[in-house]
Amino acid sequence: MSKVNNRIIQEANEQTTQQITRKYFFKECFSGIGAMALGSMIGGCDWLGSKDGMGSYINSNPLMAQAPHFVGKAKSVIYLHMAGAPSQLELFDFKPDLLKLDGQDCPQSLLEGKKFAFIRGVPKMLGPQVAFQQRGQSGAWISDHLPHLSTVADEISFLKAVQTDQFNHGPAQLLMHTGSARLGRPSIGSWVTYGLGSENSNLPGFVVLTSGGNNPDAGKSVWGNGFLPSVYQGVQCRGQGDPVLFLKDPAGIDRDIRKASIDAINEANKLSYEEFKDPEIIARMAQYEMAFKMQISVPDVMNINDEPAYIHEMYGTQPGKACFANNVLLARKLVEKGVRFVQLFDWGWDSHGTDDANAIDIGFVNKCHSIDKPITALLLDLKQRGLLDETLVVWGGEFGRTPMQENRDGKTMPFKGRDHHTEAFTTWMAGGGIKQGTSFGETDEIGYSAISGKVTAHDMQATILNQLGFDHEKLTYNFQGRPFRLTDVNGRVIHEIVA
Amino acid sequence: METVLNIFGHLHPLLVHLPIGVLLFAILIHGLSLREKYAFLSNALPIAYLIGTGTAILACLTGLILSNSGEYDETILFNHKWLGIAVAQVSLIGLFFTKKRFAPYLKIISLVLLILIFITGHYGGTLTHGEGYITKTKSAVVATKTIKAALTNTQELVLYTAIIQPILEEKCYGCHSQIKQKGKLRLDGEEWILKGGKDGVIIHAGDPQQSALYHNITLDPLEEKHMPPKGKPQITEEERVLLEWWINTGASFNKKIKDLTQPIQVKSILTSLEKNNQQVKTTEVPSEKVGPADNNSISALQKNGVTILPVATNSNYLTANFITLPQTNDTIHSLIKNISPNLIWLKIPGMHFSSGLAKSIATCTVLTRLSMEHSTITDNELHILNSLTQLQYLNLVGTKISLKGLLGLTAIKNLKQLYIAQTSITKMDVVVLQKNFPLAKIDFGNYTMEKLATDTQILKAPLRK
Repeated sequence: MSKVNNRIIQEANEQTTQQITRKYFFKECFSGIGAMALGSMIGGCDWLGSKDGMGSYINSNPLMAQAPHFVGKAKSVIYLHMAGAPSQLELFDFKPDLLKLDGQDCPQSLLEGKKFAFIRGVPKMLGPQVAFQQRGQSGAWISDHLPHLSTVADEISFLKAVQTDQFNHGPAQLLMHTGSARLGRPSIGSWVTYGLGSENSNLPGFVVLTSGGNNPDAGKSVWGNGFLPSVYQGVQCRGQGDPVLFLKDPAGIDRDIRKASIDAINEANKLSYEEFKDPEIIARMAQYEMAFKMQISVPDVMNINDEPAYIHEMYGTQPGKACFANNVLLARKLVEKGVRFVQLFDWGWDSHGTDDANAIDIGFVNKCHSIDKPITALLLDLKQRGLLDETLVVWGGEFGRTPMQENRDGKTMPFKGRDHHTEAFTTWMAGGGIKQGTSFGETDEIGYSAISGKVTAHDMQATILNQLGFDHEKLTYNFQGRPFRLTDVNGRVIHEIVA
Repeated sequence: METVLNIFGHLHPLLVHLPIGVLLFAILIHGLSLREKYAFLSNALPIAYLIGTGTAILACLTGLILSNSGEYDETILFNHKWLGIAVAQVSLIGLFFTKKRFAPYLKIISLVLLILIFITGHYGGTLTHGEGYITKTKSAVVATKTIKAALTNTQELVLYTAIIQPILEEKCYGCHSQIKQKGKLRLDGEEWILKGGKDGVIIHAGDPQQSALYHNITLDPLEEKHMPPKGKPQITEEERVLLEWWINTGASFNKKIKDLTQPIQVKSILTSLEKNNQQVKTTEVPSEKVGPADNNSISALQKNGVTILPVATNSNYLTANFITLPQTNDTIHSLIKNISPNLIWLKIPGMHFSSGLAKSIATCTVLTRLSMEHSTITDNELHILNSLTQLQYLNLVGTKISLKGLLGLTAIKNLKQLYIAQTSITKMDVVVLQKNFPLAKIDFGNYTMEKLATDTQILKAPLRK
């Protein structure tokens, strides 16, 4: 016992000396001749005032609402990510020619110089495993797996030739959400809250909801704040039980005492900030304040039981369970309350065909049915509430799936499945100033490669920011001596789908 | 050998700035040295003129090699070439005259040189950036606008002149027209287009893939032959489809659009061209400028929990959201009135309404978006809002207003979106409502979704033996 105590005291002592020596060092530097040089070096890491024309944050709430670069059509975003990457060939990219090739050996020309995650040797072609029809006035091809979504096809803009350069889930998801396949960059939701703040001072600007039984493969980094102050990271809410853990006050502590203690802690933090100017102290202060407000606001907004029966019927919710439909309904509620970015991940779309749950003609179909109703309900519900024109809905995975049947390690698989495919897949956007009922980009006769209208994750990110009123080249953050941005050195706004 | 020479030639645009800078600097110090205070500067004149002359000769040599590529307009090139040589010669003479005894002559030389440099530089600029490059940005925009404005009835127009030529003009003329002919190719006229460039004919009627004009724009942007080159404005997807269609239908220069077969994709682009033209772009932000709003009122509202901010960084127009505020009072009402000239978007969902609030909103006559869903507004307050003549978006979802109340809004003629789901108003009233709000898209909500077997069906793997 005393051993532990000693260690704690030792650690505390070390920290104090560290602070004192650091304090001494800084004081010396600033009074000395090196002040200018150091000032400019630190200036490189300066997080204040790095947003052009957006003012400084000193002593103000970093989550305060901010104006975008120009007048944006969308005020919030709901991003529906199907983690594991759904097959475009069974949903939106109809390839009748692929059906004719079903069961034949894949031609060598498609395999030369290519690398696949699991396909080895010569795989067989796999035709579409479902019937397709043209839907709505726009004539968009949507498969019979999504009968409800087919009725709202005219609201949607499809991107049929999305490309990525990552064929593993983690890096591909990171690329999709942070603009880089490596760890460490802020996610798009963090960038948006950094740029716009929150419309509702009682709720976080960026909320994450997951379903399907697992978090996405890339882990929590896909909604991380990277090098942005941590106040901008996505707040993950649980789909079941308390939405946020430990939000209730302990027994015997009433709200006034809680408020008084948070005020006292923040007073101390403020002194600390004035001394060290560490932005993370401001972030921590803001988070205390936010947590205090969330104690009241979150249980209310995260409670779907108050919704009328017909809404539950529409979305196909399962109250009390953690499921995609509940999360979609929550997403609408959050957006209605002024949350900027709601990120949904639904796990279980990795249809390799290794077992029935990820067979393209069994588990995949069940997954499709589980999202069909909620997503359609979301679009209709946003529309009837007058929110669809200011809410951008994005749907997609991290890559696509091969037109060949997977033959893991060169063997025949027990079920039908498709391998990861980077060269062409489909995503879509709706609402938020996006054209209604259009399609951009084409793939070849078998859906193997994109032939026109190619877009990348960076292009999608540039477009999402554009709809919110941001020039993706100007939304930057100075870090390690240079400005960083979500789209790195790439990205083109897909004007073809912007209304 | 030829490629080495070519590289040398391409250095011209780089090298040419050295003599310009050095010689201008030499002229500057010459001018200054005429004053007694700076007389010592004259010592620097010989070296300045020496470097200036040397680099000028170098620029001439590289320029001569570059001019052999034949990609430039002959007259302008002629002027630029000989003026450039003149600059080199005059500066060479100047170099000799830097000796003290020739001082009076050097003044004339410097003056002549100054004029020569400016004229030569201007011709050089014209060669690379095209005629009128100094004022171009403005006029180019005007030009494209006039082309687009002409598209009212696309079917009656000649495909080439109405659609293809403007695309070429916007995206290709910069390097392939009278001023410049990169790759010996001109695209600013029928005869030139049919003639092709240094690699031969660029159009095979009916076969876009064999036509370099089309094929090169579809190449991967990283390929060298991809057109327009990297960094220049690219051909859009719609333009690509139109060019493909033009070549597919025979690349005619005089056929009208109605005489050509039109695939669905082309048809929709054509109608969208007409539509874009017809739609007078209405924005939800007024075009009139407005002064900054009262800062004290803004911060007072913020203190009360209202989210209020400019619609964009450079705009004085404001958007306000009262989502965390369930009720208002007289102080808030007067604050709203204070910012009324600037407030264009207002959200007061779930608000406990009072006539005081309605009256203060009624002063915000520039308001274009108003969301009052699930608020306690009734017809009594609604009729006060008839002064909001600029309103384009009105959300009354889940409120107690009635058809009669809504029809009382007779002054709001610009309304484009009206949301009245979960009110007593139903689709039966659409005709009378549409008459009152002729431009509005009215959403009655109450969407239903069919019950399908697939909603609950769960597939299972067949049992294995």
